[in-house]
Amino acid sequence: MNAPQPNLHVKARGSSELARIVRVNEEIKAIVATAFRINLMALNAIFLAKRAGNAALGFGVLSNELRRFAQDLTRNMSSLRDMTSGSVGSVTGVVQYQRNSSILAEAIRLSGDGVPGAREARRRGAARLAAQQAKLRALDIRLRSAVEETQQLVELGGVLARSAKIEAAYGGTFSPALMQVSTDFAEVIAQIKRSLEILGKERLVKD
Amino acid sequence: MKQAHCIFEEDDHRWLAIARDPSKPGHIIDTNEYVVVKGKEALLCDPGGIEIFPSVFSALSAECDPTRLAGIFSSHQDPDIISSLALWLEFKPELKCYISWLWQSFLPHFGGEESTFVPIPDPGMTILLGGIELQAIPAHYLHSSGNFHLYDPKAKILFSGDVGAALLPADHNGLYVEDFGRHIRHAEAFHKRWMGSDKAKRDWCERVSRLEIDMMVPQHGAIYRGADVQRFINWFSALEVGVLRS
Ligand SMILES: [Fe+2]
Ligand SMILES: [Fe+2]
Repeated sequence: MNAPQPNLHVKARGSSELARIVRVNEEIKAIVATAFRINLMALNAIFLAKRAGNAALGFGVLSNELRRFAQDLTRNMSSLRDMTSGSVGSVTGVVQYQRNSSILAEAIRLSGDGVPGAREARRRGAARLAAQQAKLRALDIRLRSAVEETQQLVELGGVLARSAKIEAAYGGTFSPALMQVSTDFAEVIAQIKRSLEILGKERLVKD
Repeated sequence: MKQAHCIFEEDDHRWLAIARDPSKPGHIIDTNEYVVVKGKEALLCDPGGIEIFPSVFSALSAECDPTRLAGIFSSHQDPDIISSLALWLEFKPELKCYISWLWQSFLPHFGGEESTFVPIPDPGMTILLGGIELQAIPAHYLHSSGNFHLYDPKAKILFSGDVGAALLPADHNGLYVEDFGRHIRHAEAFHKRWMGSDKAKRDWCERVSRLEIDMMVPQHGAIYRGADVQRFINWFSALEVGVLRS
């Protein structure tokens, strides 16, 4: 008989949990990269505003704010990243316990339920799995609240980008250039918003 | 499904062979597991890989109370020997695992805490089981660089790990070697390739020749009994090992 044993098929479930973490991490990486872009764009905008002089005083102030926003965002994202990299350990633990306990359950099933030590082993396995899952759930809650906090920050970024657009209208001869920069800001921030929305929907553990 | 066969019994002292599994997936090498039972304690020799754990566990449980397992003897570090370690520990976390000191820090990749492992020093050691003394016999470089066999002087059984292993065709499914000449053909290529050192081989042949052995039980293939044990030692000592192609 060459067919693989059905009891070892739990791998698929575990890898879907790891895949979820990978998705979360990828989304975080995308936001970090975008935050870096905002930082550069803000620096450019600051120089542009300086060249425009008096006509772009308000734009210059907003560009400074946007730069600070990019830095705050980067900080937020790096703490999010710490959380998810910590969760890889917990998820791996859950995957391992799930796999071990399901193989052990199959062994006990083959031996008949009355086999000595079976109940204790099952109880111990369930307790360990529950502890790992609780850890993961706590992490999930922290991750979600961190995402919400970041979403609020990004709302502020959106306000800054819109204001920059208004200020750009008063930029005189520099107005088209300033308008372009503020449109770019708005686009990038919309992109971050979308990423955060996806992040907000991801769960490290299924309810 | 694997089954446990009692190959030795004297009062409360037994050896079980969990051997020759016809239902195992074809891509996994067939392995034999052995259980030494003495009184209320049992020692499992080379428990095997993760994939076969359910069938080894149930075969063992059919013949002996699995909570009596006191330890695992791991001849060396290979996956077909000991990759199921975490599962045995899942069943009984306080199990001790005897392994060459050389592999002590490698095996935790399969599972176990620091307190799980009892390192066996190069010259070997005595392992107490239910009042009898089992001996870990050095078999380094045959094939692993930190390798031990287990000798039971009361039962006169030598568990010889990969030494004596034969990769038998499906229709050779007897528990014991019946025709040494026919059997050993299936062991030749394995020993030539897997056993790396001629010097180690001669040392081992000399060492085990001094032991009284009624049965030599390998991790793959059939069991050698009586005169076949000495026949094997003679055959092995004459075999050229450490060769890439025969
Ligand atoms: Fe091996
Ligand atoms: Fe082997």
